[in-house]
Amino acid sequence: MSYEKWIKLGLEKGLEDLQIFATRNRSLKLTIYQGRIDQHVESDVESVTLRGIYGGKITSIKFENTNTDAIETMIDRLISNAKALTANEPAIIFEGSESYPEVKVESFDFTRVPIADKIQLAKDYEAGLLGQKFVKQVQSTTYQETENETTLINSKGLKLHRSNSFAYAYAIGVFEKDDDIKTAYDIKLVKDYADFNLADMIQTTLEKGWAKLGGSSISSAQLPVVFSNEKFGELLATFTTIFSGESAYRNLSPLKDKVNEAIAIEGLSIIDDPLHPDAYFQIPFDDEGVATAPMNLVDKGVFKGFMHDLKTASIFKEAPNGHSFSGRISTTNMYVQPSNVGFDELIQPIENGIYITELAGLHAGVKAVSGDFSLQAGGFKIENGNVTTPVKMIVLSGNFFKLLNGITGIGSDLKFGLNNVGSPSVFVSSLSIGGDDSKAS
Amino acid sequence: MIDKLVLERLIQEGVSEGADFCEIFLEDTHSNVLRVTGQEVTDTSSSNVYGAGVRLIQGNDEVYGYTNHVDEASLEQIVHNLKVSFDGPKMDAKPLGDSQPYDPQVKIPMASKTTTEKAEKLLPLTKIMADHDSRIVQSIASLMDMKQVIKVANSDGVYQEDERHYARVIMMAVAKDDTSMQQAYEGPGRSMGFEIFDELDVKTLAKETATSAITLLSAEDIESQVMPVILHNGFGGVIFHEACGHPLEATAIAKGLSPFVGKVGEKIGSDVVTAYDDGTVDNAWGRLSYDDEGRPTQNNLLIENGVLKGYLVDFRRGRMMGAKPTGSGRRQSYKFSPTSRMNSTFIAPGKDKVEAIIKDTKYGLFAKKMGGGSVQPATGEFNFAVQEGYMIEDGKLTRPVRGATLIGHGKDILFKIDRVADNLEFGQGMCGSISGSIPVDVGQPTIRVQSMTVGGAGGQK
Repeated sequence: MSYEKWIKLGLEKGLEDLQIFATRNRSLKLTIYQGRIDQHVESDVESVTLRGIYGGKITSIKFENTNTDAIETMIDRLISNAKALTANEPAIIFEGSESYPEVKVESFDFTRVPIADKIQLAKDYEAGLLGQKFVKQVQSTTYQETENETTLINSKGLKLHRSNSFAYAYAIGVFEKDDDIKTAYDIKLVKDYADFNLADMIQTTLEKGWAKLGGSSISSAQLPVVFSNEKFGELLATFTTIFSGESAYRNLSPLKDKVNEAIAIEGLSIIDDPLHPDAYFQIPFDDEGVATAPMNLVDKGVFKGFMHDLKTASIFKEAPNGHSFSGRISTTNMYVQPSNVGFDELIQPIENGIYITELAGLHAGVKAVSGDFSLQAGGFKIENGNVTTPVKMIVLSGNFFKLLNGITGIGSDLKFGLNNVGSPSVFVSSLSIGGDDSKAS
Repeated sequence: MIDKLVLERLIQEGVSEGADFCEIFLEDTHSNVLRVTGQEVTDTSSSNVYGAGVRLIQGNDEVYGYTNHVDEASLEQIVHNLKVSFDGPKMDAKPLGDSQPYDPQVKIPMASKTTTEKAEKLLPLTKIMADHDSRIVQSIASLMDMKQVIKVANSDGVYQEDERHYARVIMMAVAKDDTSMQQAYEGPGRSMGFEIFDELDVKTLAKETATSAITLLSAEDIESQVMPVILHNGFGGVIFHEACGHPLEATAIAKGLSPFVGKVGEKIGSDVVTAYDDGTVDNAWGRLSYDDEGRPTQNNLLIENGVLKGYLVDFRRGRMMGAKPTGSGRRQSYKFSPTSRMNSTFIAPGKDKVEAIIKDTKYGLFAKKMGGGSVQPATGEFNFAVQEGYMIEDGKLTRPVRGATLIGHGKDILFKIDRVADNLEFGQGMCGSISGSIPVDVGQPTIRVQSMTVGGAGGQK
């Protein structure tokens, strides 16, 4: 049955408006361990999210059983769920934006590359690491390719389609030196199979692993801290909900009532740009069919406004800005605007500090509501303006909102992570380091 | 779902060109999330996970395929695509046996209640939180319920159906004063139906959640230091889950990527530590009648008086290690091949009393409620966050502290446990690993760890 027929059926059953958001995801995953295939996974899954308005209330239901008889059941459940809603909130199915940004079509067909080549790529990746200095073994080597197709169609006549395809590979090296064991990996994501450069991938993984080896804890102290570009991006990513219109509306964002107020040093700008050329993905519309556009969240230290979906945009009496994804408000490609200060110049003034290149427990040690964070961390000492010996097993603690006002320098090395958040290296004047005296060198 | 005879034929097809094991996993899962914010019902969404996963193994090598098209032709196509990975003689699959009885552990199925009836159970909870203190600026109560129906069949003749019912009530309170905004939450879950509201004292938990958020307002940031830590019962067991549970899974052991490889029979902890992973605890969040490979779950002794007794083993890693599966093969859904996972993991109760342990601690941290944590099994390094903590001074709880994170090494921590109380309790969480996110219990009585590295934003001591 076609989506048009589902819409007709939904309207017949009494829905005032409805939208079908359908995705098809095909993937191949290969993992190699000790020269053999450890995992070989092929998949083809369609999933449909039905969003509908009944009695002025909107809700949604997501399902994978797309058999005809199941659709009716799903529409019935959607209606009974909508009936249970009591909150009087805007319920909108979107008629469409005036225009949509053009994005480069990425349609490389990875399935055309013989599977034997992909297996060989992963085997060569593993073999290239094994036997190298300090490499004890390779925990797993992964090749994964994914092809996504998304179709959005609704009773207001909107029809949109987007698709993309990509592949990535990484190997988790286990490094050992003097009883100290560390793991390291670097994910390489490509839009064209020819962009896998094995020699570079091996070298990057080795360098990441070697850099982590050795090192010790340090005594607890308040110290200047420089976050690597990747790690500041990861920390920032855990705080994206503070910029959500839904969080503000629900009293869950400390930025509520702070639009146009300074919340950070003047040198800090945070931008969400769905079309940024350096990001991994460019996104022309959100899951409600709203066209996306670049947006300044923080401009020269001033908070400029919340990300919205159709509902919160209506509540805040603002134009929707295309941030509804997977039923939540979220960023597209959010990043900290880089400066032109090189890394060496950035750390040059630091006599005694820490360069953070590892963070663990981000899902647990961060409180987005209060801004408090306390995380297992590792990295290097910074002594007299130079990165020196490795540091491990420390706890890095602070408050994100205080941190925003304690930034002393921002680097030029903008890098987007696979979480679609980008950042250059960031220098923070002082954070709390917890360590173990007895294990300090 | 697919007929048994068809499954039998597809499985035979799977082992016709070299694979020596074929398994088909079918799933139809329905879940609902209902959220009450303040005194309004603000979210009522549902979802359905529906599909099939096919696994072929030859020796230790595995291929896996999955789709949401659960029909004979689609599954046949997957079997064909997968079996070309192997080359070898045809094997005869055993005829499928009879599915054994399973216990769905449910008295009042959620499906027998309307969304509005469910909401009526949540509304009093947000009211309790909101009325607790004027500084509570938001109160949210959610009900997550899920019914997972599975069928697993394999070339060893296993044919098993199972039905799992989950219910979880999540409460969150946000408190705000002039200087800060703090959140606290509780999320008890059970293998149960609607009766969860009768069997759990959710109203008291709502009160405690609000109290916890208010306490955090006046708590000071903890000072970073190395000190004794008393981990309270229940969710405190997350420490054992992260530091020891994951490194005892065959996924880590089979590759030699765990500090506990080759240590069975050896002392890996102090005498007071005995620990289990039990898949059979009635109504527990981590309970299963049968695992996702169709084996009955069991109670697995992991550590006895400090001596390592065993690992958690799934079928395939069992082959690699020459070990018997322990009913621990689990997966989030048909989109994952099963691996060895935990169910309800806990440190067994001792004879000590909480009050005595606190009294005997001159200085340290009482971690009353834990947040989550993580571990890197290859290195054994773990971390976890304290949600609500108090300083212990001269054997007494004094000021509340916030923002503490504890770090350590799995192989050291068990030796540092010197006191174990008698008050075993479970806490519930979702555990993420190679085979996806699954419900597990963590558990322990109150325990004391002689020294741990504690980090926080309050400067250093």
